[in-house]
Amino acid sequence: MPSRVHPYRSSLPLVLALALTIATLLGSAAAQDPEPVYGGTVTVAITADPPGWDPTVSTSQEIPRVMYHNVYEGLVRFDATGAIVPALAESWETSEDGLTWTFHLREGVKFHDGTDLTVDDVIAKFERAMDPESGHTNPGYYAAIASVEAPDARTVVFRLSQPSRGLLYNLARPDSIVYPAAKADTQRSQPIGTGPFRFVSYTEGSEVVLERFDDYYLEGVPYLDRAVFRIIGDPNTRFAALQAGDIDLIGVALQPEQYLQLAGNPELKGSEGTATTEITVAMNNSRAPFDDPRVRQAITMAIDKRQIVEGAMFGLGTIIGSHMSPAEPYYVDLSDTYPYDPERARELLAEAGYADGLTFSFELPEPYNIERRSGEVIAQQLRAVGITAELSVVEWGTWIQRILLGGDYDMTIIGHSEPRDINVYANPDYYYKYDNPRIAELLAEAEAAPTAEAETAAYQEIARIIAEDAVNVWLFSPPYLVAARADVYGFWQDQPTPAIDVTGVYRAP
Amino acid sequence: MLGFVARRFVTALVSVLLASVVVFSALLAVPGDPAAVILGINATPEARAVLSRKLGLDVPPVERYVRWLGGALRGDLGESINYQRPVSALIRDRLRVSVPLAVGAALLACLLAVPLGVFAALKRGTLWDPLLVAASQLGAAVPSFWLGLIFILYFAVQLKWLPAGGFTPFEQDPGAWARSLLLPVLALGLGQAAVMTRMTRAAMLEVLSQDFVRTARAKGVATRGVVLKHALRNAMVTIVTILGLSLTNVFIGSIVIEQVFALPGLGRLAITAIGTRDFPLLQGEVLVYASTIVALGFLVDVSYGLLDPRIRYG
Repeated sequence: MPSRVHPYRSSLPLVLALALTIATLLGSAAAQDPEPVYGGTVTVAITADPPGWDPTVSTSQEIPRVMYHNVYEGLVRFDATGAIVPALAESWETSEDGLTWTFHLREGVKFHDGTDLTVDDVIAKFERAMDPESGHTNPGYYAAIASVEAPDARTVVFRLSQPSRGLLYNLARPDSIVYPAAKADTQRSQPIGTGPFRFVSYTEGSEVVLERFDDYYLEGVPYLDRAVFRIIGDPNTRFAALQAGDIDLIGVALQPEQYLQLAGNPELKGSEGTATTEITVAMNNSRAPFDDPRVRQAITMAIDKRQIVEGAMFGLGTIIGSHMSPAEPYYVDLSDTYPYDPERARELLAEAGYADGLTFSFELPEPYNIERRSGEVIAQQLRAVGITAELSVVEWGTWIQRILLGGDYDMTIIGHSEPRDINVYANPDYYYKYDNPRIAELLAEAEAAPTAEAETAAYQEIARIIAEDAVNVWLFSPPYLVAARADVYGFWQDQPTPAIDVTGVYRAP
Repeated sequence: MLGFVARRFVTALVSVLLASVVVFSALLAVPGDPAAVILGINATPEARAVLSRKLGLDVPPVERYVRWLGGALRGDLGESINYQRPVSALIRDRLRVSVPLAVGAALLACLLAVPLGVFAALKRGTLWDPLLVAASQLGAAVPSFWLGLIFILYFAVQLKWLPAGGFTPFEQDPGAWARSLLLPVLALGLGQAAVMTRMTRAAMLEVLSQDFVRTARAKGVATRGVVLKHALRNAMVTIVTILGLSLTNVFIGSIVIEQVFALPGLGRLAITAIGTRDFPLLQGEVLVYASTIVALGFLVDVSYGLLDPRIRYG
């Protein structure tokens, strides 16, 4: 479990010293992790009540945080490093033309209600996923699938209408989990999966309790008897609860300043890994002045991302220049596409006819601390080149409705944490209102690519085009920060997908 | 008296109904759609349409309101969109947190404020009075959430005496139940106590300066008798008014305190309901909040007559 080195570190000596201390502490701790111990309970913080527990009904990330791989599994899944590994399928193969995918189900897999997993459950799940009328989340992930069939009781065959490079990845996502076909409609309140933990109870606003599933198909895991996910909305209260020993692990929304405090406390420890989030200053490309690429370039060049990472993140974060984080397999560093240059920004603004200044609204989403802090710094930086960004804070429901769905805004800022979500730039109706047919072509090329290299090249080309078009300003990718009691081991140190997988977690004195 | 009660009851009903109409209209005025909030930011328009239909959101708003009202009159508050559970059950669960919290805080406030306020009034002119006034000024100025955070840092993080947050139900473990409520009650009650101390002191000072007190003193009643029998009884009308207000304040103030202590109370439920545009749940909450406030006002009014027979209800 190596701690990661980031291309960028704060120049603040204190912060650097603290961060290095933590890195050293982690390094030594990781080197001598004790033998796993069976039994016990770990209490984990989450931030809010999700709208039910079924990840195929809502894309709320609070759902997979609790349920992914703990309770629900699909044919394949992500491991702690983001690699795709077998889950319900023990093996799979692809035909020469890439149009037939055959999955071999593991034998003896039981659902938490005691019934056996069958091919019918898998087929029913994907038929639902492919049906736009079912309300299943992200039907686009399954768009290439023409049919799903079962030649025998342990084999599932997907026939595709066109080759799909992303299929396996999409089958590992939380949307692709399998539950008993007969109980599809009750999963929101009574989740039944195949994972190492079964869902025991949920007290709204308080906690979710999971218990070890004795019939889990993998030998040796899980270690814990119980995992409790406690709902604590306030970040200060979450951290205090960890310090007080009420909870054992914070694996979501740990504030950078809290992470830096861990070094001084022998009862606690932390880890810093990669996440798939891009903190994005989004601009309405269809609306003046943002319909002029020179203005978007000027705004990009007026923003000093280093200062934001220092000011809002205490130096924790990797500066990026396009819509991909270093955690993505096809990551390419484009942060130098339009480097910080306020002089050039002024010139570009003058060329675009805004020599006398420019005013627009800049809306910050209320629930997100890091975005709000970053937004405040940005408004000051923009003022230096003659741009007045009028700040306002928007409540979350309003943000979704008016900005995201309605596209009615000038500029906003949000963290896009979905993995592999660069495809949104192919959609001219998405709230960036960026219309470039070349992106959709490249996406299709990536999907149909004959080799992994060709796929990567197509994705990197998309990243490059949107960076050069300065569609948005991509500020930085925040690290995945975890804080835990010192006796807790085996948690994920990276966040390849939103999940707090406790399968490998144990306590050891 | 009976006529008074009947009139007050009708006024109360109208107030509660008005509150629910106002909240319903406010929900319509702000952008936001439960289906969009549930599905999250990468949902397709088709998926939103399907979910809206499932949730019954394709029905025109006025019709939705009338349906809800019809149900509410029959005692059926409907089902929460976000939690998919009956609203009445959700609220019942939350009352087990919010009622002890509010009652505890209001009791604490009274037990501290009335003796301290009386004491300060009697000690007017000595060093005690400005000392208590200053202390209560400070107490009233400190926000309860800040006090809550300080308590958490000291009693939970530093000393590890009490939990930093969360709630244990009474039937599960009465000791843990009390421990989980102690800090929130203190954080909420102390600020209220400070406000009430100032008001009690002012009320007592006013009564003490009245003629009948001088008469009582002149006829030789001991100070203790003057204070307890004459002055305090007359000051009680003001104090009870303050108590009513304070219960209301505490009830509303608990919304913030529940957030700080991660308590699953009514306030946090209301915040979730607003965030997710959970219309039936929010309406149910408004009903509870409005009825409580109206009922407290009513009790205060009725108690006036008991405390001071000069007050008659016309």
